[in-house]
Amino acid sequence: MAIRWSRVIAIPAAGLVLGLAWNAWSGRGIALGGNAFLRQGDAIEEIEAREARARLDRGALFLDARPRAFYDMSHVPGAFPLPEEDFDRSFAPLEDRLRRTFDIVVYCSGYGCEASHVVARRLAEKGIRAAVLHEGWPAWTDAGYPVKEGPQP
Amino acid sequence: MTWLRHPLLHRALAIVLGAVFVYASREKIAEPRDFARIVYHYQVIGPNARIGYVPANLLAVALPWTEALAGVLLIAGVWRREAATVVAVLLVTFLVAVGWTLYHGIDVENCGCFTVAGTGRRAGLGLLLSDLALLAVAAFLAAAPPGAEAARAEASPGALTVPASHE
Repeated sequence: MAIRWSRVIAIPAAGLVLGLAWNAWSGRGIALGGNAFLRQGDAIEEIEAREARARLDRGALFLDARPRAFYDMSHVPGAFPLPEEDFDRSFAPLEDRLRRTFDIVVYCSGYGCEASHVVARRLAEKGIRAAVLHEGWPAWTDAGYPVKEGPQP
Repeated sequence: MTWLRHPLLHRALAIVLGAVFVYASREKIAEPRDFARIVYHYQVIGPNARIGYVPANLLAVALPWTEALAGVLLIAGVWRREAATVVAVLLVTFLVAVGWTLYHGIDVENCGCFTVAGTGRRAGLGLLLSDLALLAVAAFLAAAPPGAEAARAEASPGALTVPASHE
């Protein structure tokens, strides 16, 4: 008996319907247009590259959540390294400065990268508000915004 | 090679393949948010500035249930070849996705194959190989029906014994 292609189509179609129904009514669902990196209860503001640039010009403090090696190659001018995997050690020397700053932007490697959200969440736990540049570093460089090379802020 | 057309072989392979896929869907169904995060890590269908979050989220919502459904059908022996075709297409998709991350140097710490929490299996060459092995099974089930005579015996109720010579 030959393969019935209508059945081949029906299986993922039913999977989509079941998935949407489960997503809507299970209580565990996600907002289809929303960012799954954001958890319920997160009060993290997500901003785009243009807005981040405006904040940089206004004197915002930038934090680079990528692994340190990437920061050392290049980063947003004035940004401090606060890698997700080394949060505690990198946070200590920055703490005073961060507590005195009201305009903080965290970024990492872009949409597929979760480190900026993790860092912003850990800062929020310490009572420090930070926005996330959710398009990340690629959007910053694609826009032709200034970058600083080397390990110094 | 008549044994390759033996219905018991097909049934057994379908049950094993189906079980793998039902098992794989378990945590993804239970934790849609965590699975969506893993889909993002791959950066194959976004999210990005052009297409936003919807395609990646839809995939995260629909894929686990498609895996579960195809797996259940394979185990039950219903629509076996069609379910195997779906599984084969899914595996090709996984291969492309993992190949994409390797090619672009994207480090996916947890491939999201069987577990979505914390660290799992890394998306790498080993994963490509096991996906290829599963793909071989799925393609075999999809492409080759069991022997015609044996299939008839299987279909008629009560006739559970396979004829000794089903050629």
